[in-house]
Amino acid sequence: MTKVTTLAEAVASIPSGAHVALSGFATARCAMAFAHELIRQGTNRLTVSQCVAGMEADMLIGAGAVERIVSGGGSRGRSGQHSCICRAIEQGTLITEELSSLSMTFRNLAGALGLPFIPIRSLNGSDILDRLQQITPPVVGRLTDPFTGDEWLVLKPLTPDVAVIQVQVADEEGNAWILGPRWDNEEQAKASKRTIVITERLVSTEAIRRDPDRTVIPGFRVSHVVHLPFSAHPSSVYSIYDFDEAHIDLYAEGSKTPQGFQQYLDKYVYGVKDHWGYLELVGGMQRMKELEADPVLGY
Amino acid sequence: MSADLNYTSFELMAVTGARELKDGEIVAVGLGLPVVASFLAKRTHAPNLSIILELGVVDPEPIDIGSGLSDPRFWYRAKVHTSFADMLGMVLHKGLVDVGFLGGLEVDAYGNLNTTLLGDPKGKFRRFTGSGGGNDLASCARRTVIIIRHEARKLKEAVSFITSPGYLHGNTEREKAGLIGGPGRVITDKAVFGFDPETKRMRLEAIHPNTTLEDVLSNMAFQPIVPRDLPVTEPPTAEQLRLIREEIDPDRLYAGS
Repeated sequence: MTKVTTLAEAVASIPSGAHVALSGFATARCAMAFAHELIRQGTNRLTVSQCVAGMEADMLIGAGAVERIVSGGGSRGRSGQHSCICRAIEQGTLITEELSSLSMTFRNLAGALGLPFIPIRSLNGSDILDRLQQITPPVVGRLTDPFTGDEWLVLKPLTPDVAVIQVQVADEEGNAWILGPRWDNEEQAKASKRTIVITERLVSTEAIRRDPDRTVIPGFRVSHVVHLPFSAHPSSVYSIYDFDEAHIDLYAEGSKTPQGFQQYLDKYVYGVKDHWGYLELVGGMQRMKELEADPVLGY
Repeated sequence: MSADLNYTSFELMAVTGARELKDGEIVAVGLGLPVVASFLAKRTHAPNLSIILELGVVDPEPIDIGSGLSDPRFWYRAKVHTSFADMLGMVLHKGLVDVGFLGGLEVDAYGNLNTTLLGDPKGKFRRFTGSGGGNDLASCARRTVIIIRHEARKLKEAVSFITSPGYLHGNTEREKAGLIGGPGRVITDKAVFGFDPETKRMRLEAIHPNTTLEDVLSNMAFQPIVPRDLPVTEPPTAEQLRLIREEIDPDRLYAGS
């Protein structure tokens, strides 16, 4: 059965107030076209979870679509801080459930395995734990190892309503390949009630069957498949295209102030009808061709 | 000897960092100087070093310099592409990471690191990156090496937010919190520090060439333990400088990050 839909239909399946797990990491495989469409549709009060915050989370938070973020922190690396996220935390307009990369991964892993909790060594002794202990209902606890008598910190699993995963290749059933490092995308997808796959390339199921070693997300977990080239721009998709440094710089500069960010949104999100309009605006086919990855380098 | 060679403080720190790594160890790296230190160690005294990136990369051999962990330039020629659950879970949490490199906004007298915010956590503050894998490395690596600029606003008696725990308030407090390992070294652009085995307070181990003890102490907001005999940090060799300048960081991009 085909699950291929438009981006607009996939986004419309997410109600305001939902918990959405996002696949980006800093400037890699960020669900940018998804974030644009979600902002255009006016979906809001979201909980967003992400191991290391990506550009799509920064944009959704800047646009006021997010009420709560669950993440291990993050920045764009050398290109700077996620200004919208930092500003929202400084001004107290974003509820934050802040962890570390591994504790986020463990919470998704516990969710994926259907476990009631998961023990972890990280976070102990830190002010991160101090803050988590103040959250109600609780997301951390303590228990005694029945085998050794040792005391352990335990974390509550994450079970997002939907994971939105940006992938290189998928078929119409949603069987999806993730090439390159996967961070916690597999655990996110498997912890979530369902997954929306946004794919650069749509291939036949026969092509998937010929190379099933690469399949990370099986189709039975997927509700929607959206086939949309360059849908992570300006972030990178390993082996398909590089990140667009010039456009990331433009976003970085704009997002430093609420006014600059609003101007960015007005031009690149509200000012276009859909993803194709956005691609035209950021340089069209010529620019996308320049970003195309070298098959040996992967970028 | 090479004491008369010209080198930058970045190069001296990278060489000092490389010296912390032993052959056959597993090291977790992120951005900047630790990357140069690790690749330098691997090309010199530690050819069997395994270099891991938290997001799921083992032993890359980049030929172009990346802007961070998420830049595919940094993954080039990796032996394994995998996941957080593997790298930070099945390697780090299991206790297999020998050395984790950490950097931050502030470090205190017991090696506690802040990468989260500057200012008053309950009042006005400026927000920064947060943990990423930093807290996990600080909690679970066998030892950590902290790289930080030598400034009084960065070397504090106490940090405003403990993102990544060192020895907490010293003595046995770290073990009591259920943590293993702990900071082994702090490398700045003026000196190298270790930690007192009993009190766990930061202790000066060596000062860099062309630096005075007064210069080191007057640019810190706390008093470290100062031993009677204070060696000078061993300078880079000509071959180490050649590797950094010609092979590892020819465009000085790491040096600038």
